[in-house]
Amino acid sequence: MKNFFKLLNFELNRFMKLFIILLVTIAVIQIIGTIILARSYMMQANQAVLQGGMSQQEFIDMYSPFSMIHVIYSLWFMGPIAIGVAALMFYVFFIWYRDWFARNTFIYRLLMLPTSRMNIFFSKATTIMLTVLAMVAYQVILLNIEKTIVKWLVPKVYRQDLRVVDLTVGSEYLSKVLPQGIVEFLIAYGLGLGFIVVIFTVILFERSYRIKGIIFGLLYAFIAFVLFVLPLSLQLFGCIYLYPMETLIVQIVMWIIIVGASLILSRYLLKNKVTV
Amino acid sequence: MNHMIEVKDIHKSFGRKKVLKGVSFTAQKGEITCLIGVNGVGKTTVMNAIMNLTPMNRGEILIDGEKINKRSYEKITFIPDTITMLPTMRIQDAFEFMNDYYNSWNQERAEELLNFFRLQKSDRIAELSKGNKAKANLLLGLALDVDYVLMDEPFSGIDIFSREQIANVFTSHLIEDRGVIITTHEITDIEHLIDKVVLLDNGIVVKEFNAEEVREEQGKSIVDVMREVFRI
Amino acid sequence: MRLKLDSRAPVYIQVIQYFKEQIASGSLDMGEEIPSRRELASELKINPNTVQRAYKEMEEAGLIYTDGNMPSKITKDEHVIKNVRESLLNEAIQNFITSVHTLNIPLEELIPLIKKNYEKGLQDRGESHDRSKRYT
Repeated sequence: MKNFFKLLNFELNRFMKLFIILLVTIAVIQIIGTIILARSYMMQANQAVLQGGMSQQEFIDMYSPFSMIHVIYSLWFMGPIAIGVAALMFYVFFIWYRDWFARNTFIYRLLMLPTSRMNIFFSKATTIMLTVLAMVAYQVILLNIEKTIVKWLVPKVYRQDLRVVDLTVGSEYLSKVLPQGIVEFLIAYGLGLGFIVVIFTVILFERSYRIKGIIFGLLYAFIAFVLFVLPLSLQLFGCIYLYPMETLIVQIVMWIIIVGASLILSRYLLKNKVTV
Repeated sequence: MNHMIEVKDIHKSFGRKKVLKGVSFTAQKGEITCLIGVNGVGKTTVMNAIMNLTPMNRGEILIDGEKINKRSYEKITFIPDTITMLPTMRIQDAFEFMNDYYNSWNQERAEELLNFFRLQKSDRIAELSKGNKAKANLLLGLALDVDYVLMDEPFSGIDIFSREQIANVFTSHLIEDRGVIITTHEITDIEHLIDKVVLLDNGIVVKEFNAEEVREEQGKSIVDVMREVFRI
Repeated sequence: MRLKLDSRAPVYIQVIQYFKEQIASGSLDMGEEIPSRRELASELKINPNTVQRAYKEMEEAGLIYTDGNMPSKITKDEHVIKNVRESLLNEAIQNFITSVHTLNIPLEELIPLIKKNYEKGLQDRGESHDRSKRYT
């Protein structure tokens, strides 16, 4: 256990630089975007009202008040998030492959540590999960900052203040990432964890059998996917009928099976088949 | 209990290429065993196999009578032909890392080796010259209180003075009564240090002999035997 | 201590030979301490196991002795030292006779030649007779 935490700490430290750059980049782009969007709205409003002869109310009726919704649906907001997601997806692979390549053969040391090799697996998986959570929390903080900026730049009359909670409902994307309740939270992150574990298993297949490994791995991922959507797809095709609660339970069982199998497989590969 | 490393009939293929076709030999604790063979014959593969860094297709490897497991890494260390630390680390960071994970880490011994090799704790591994990198690598392995030390090509591409320094390690107390397996194709620096020679050719051990015995019984040097076996 | 090693002869025998020469010539005194196994291995760049074997055989032959945990010392037995000297001498002489045998030179001619070469050798090395007289 102690070794797991040591490795976790180690992995987090390694990611820190990249992570901070990512956070700063996201903040900068989103904040600049917020400012630009707010100001361009105001410019438009001022032009219409002060020069065009429209009344404030007319303008508001025509163009609807400015709110964070404008920000959220813009590229200034979604862009950095896409960058963040891409970076994390990249890191899911990089966190393993960097230890083999890029003048870095640290994998020798990792595999020769007097500890269970699964600690390597768990520490890498946990690193990703923690950074995802951190980024989500960070996004919530940013949303609040952006709201404040909007309050500064756009006079109350033109503004519609929304709570972050309302915003998340409004955005299809945000509602998935900032879940509404504990159940949704567990589902979303459970899915994420399952996804990471399966991908890690595929990576280990490749690191054990190279090209044959990619084929095995993708096959495995495919089977895992099919198995996981089985309850839902069976219902879709009318083969079986389940109450939502039953579906949930079956899905959880599927998840347990898939994650369990992946962990067992990964352990076997790490202990016996992986090669430097 | 046998105090030795036993390599028993190991086979290894890379794709369709059969590299090891039944390699068997033993390395005793308290002896220096040298694996000799041309480049690409599979010496590194054998070392990796002993350390479970690469799987075998067939065969068995026993360390003191046991198959390798996570505890074995407190008993046996491997110094491969590549650095085993992050290049961004300083030597001090590497020390802390090793100390953190290995009970067998001997900080005093590490400091001693640091002086012996004339390196500094503040040196960054990536910035070291090739010779110094090799010495740093050696350092990390030798500072562990283990029974067996495996070294893969410790002299490759190293300048002559660093080579001398490294050769000096073999006669010092830093090796003590440990079992050493070293691979090399360059034996001039250590010809009189080697206890046992294992000649690899074409995927198998073509000859396994004790250097002093051969000198006594046949009046041949290690190089003489090599010439005979490899027919040069 | 420098030893030029022959790769084709057992190292431990070469070590013993070296010690014998040092004892016979008086470079190593009676009762003088010799380096530890590891010290010698380090100096000569040879395997400590080899030194171990050499020391073991020297101890068995009575050339050295070890008192408990103290470092080993050269024997104090003059008899042993004399024998070593003699056996080395005889060995050298045998080698000489064997190599000169084919030339078929009678002994009376040989001895003055030996004397001449020996004295010249001493001159070249700037030594005197006195040291060699120590053990006669």
